[in-house]
Amino acid sequence: MKWMPVVRAFAAVGSLLVVQPLLAHHSAAMFDDTKVIELKGAVKELQWSNPHIWLQLVVEEKGAAHEWSIEGGSPNTLSRRGWRSTTFKPGDEVTVRVNPMKDGTTAGLFVGAKFVDGKTLGRWE
Amino acid sequence: MRRALLCLATLGAIATKAAYGQSAGALPKGLPDWSGAWVMQGPTVFDPATVQPPNGRAGDPGVREFPPYNDEWEALYKRHIDLIRQGTFPDPISTCGTPHGFPRMMNVPDVYEFAVTPEKVVILAENGPNILRIYTDGRTHPAKEDLWPTYNGSSVGHWEGDTLVFDTISMKGWSGKDVILDRTGLVLSDASRVTTRLRRLDETTMEAQMIVTDPKALKAPWPVTKRYRRQPAGTWGWDYACAENNRNPISDSGRTLTLGPDGKPIDKVVK
Repeated sequence: MKWMPVVRAFAAVGSLLVVQPLLAHHSAAMFDDTKVIELKGAVKELQWSNPHIWLQLVVEEKGAAHEWSIEGGSPNTLSRRGWRSTTFKPGDEVTVRVNPMKDGTTAGLFVGAKFVDGKTLGRWE
Repeated sequence: MRRALLCLATLGAIATKAAYGQSAGALPKGLPDWSGAWVMQGPTVFDPATVQPPNGRAGDPGVREFPPYNDEWEALYKRHIDLIRQGTFPDPISTCGTPHGFPRMMNVPDVYEFAVTPEKVVILAENGPNILRIYTDGRTHPAKEDLWPTYNGSSVGHWEGDTLVFDTISMKGWSGKDVILDRTGLVLSDASRVTTRLRRLDETTMEAQMIVTDPKALKAPWPVTKRYRRQPAGTWGWDYACAENNRNPISDSGRTLTLGPDGKPIDKVVK
């Protein structure tokens, strides 16, 4: 299965400078909140656990598969915002926007997601 | 025989009441209804009234508040602010081993619940989790020799109408680690004391007016007010087991790490 590579970085302006999910448990200093990048890939796993949920997304780029670790809020908070432990299922194709790591490693802070049926989650404008 | 049994039962009830205090049953009239789930309003800066820049977020470089610190503790705060700029002032709770401690526990996200009973009020902060017991049965703080510094200290209080007034002492404070007030690097000493007036302003708003004193760190009493908004009826509070899947531990140099699903630091870079 082929997946689109990391698509594009958005300018750090306007509506994409979103309010980050509450990182109740640690500093968000490792994330670059002046940038939002878009990843298109396949869900490997959603770790629905405290203190933060993690979406493991496999993204193909230049013929190589990279696994991204995308951090979100706590399942407690997210469940009250309409998320479920099954919101992302293994194999789902999804486009995800994240604030990337400042050090360039394959991780980021969840901003929003768009599913193949057009439904969106989080901030997607 | 029947009369004897009734007599024994009555004596038993009296003995139980003597041993355990007032009998169980309905809440005495006059205690306020603080049921439901509540969420703190505003960002997780402890004193939003003085934060600079306005609406600054705790953890962002250069964000600070202005407690009435003496020179020594102002200098300490500035050192913390510098470490935050360098990314080496970790939040103690990132280890998932300790609670936030009072008064920081009044400054956390997620759900709060206020359990009002005749003997005590218990504040449950889902995040952490944190539990504050405020005894309202007339007891005083334990004697000095029976106290030791703890994260949430010792709290005793009384009701003034619908307002709970309580006094908290014996908190751990900052000893180079353990307890902070927020991620701007704000700290207090182990001599700090907080007097809190907790009341429900209206149907959807709870307010905690805190007066912080600290003869080691502060030149004057420091007033801080936090507000909490009631959530829709039926809102759930959940388990918060921080150590369940902590992928952001602290390194030896004080940096907050990001681990992959294998528990090792992520080192793959995609240009």
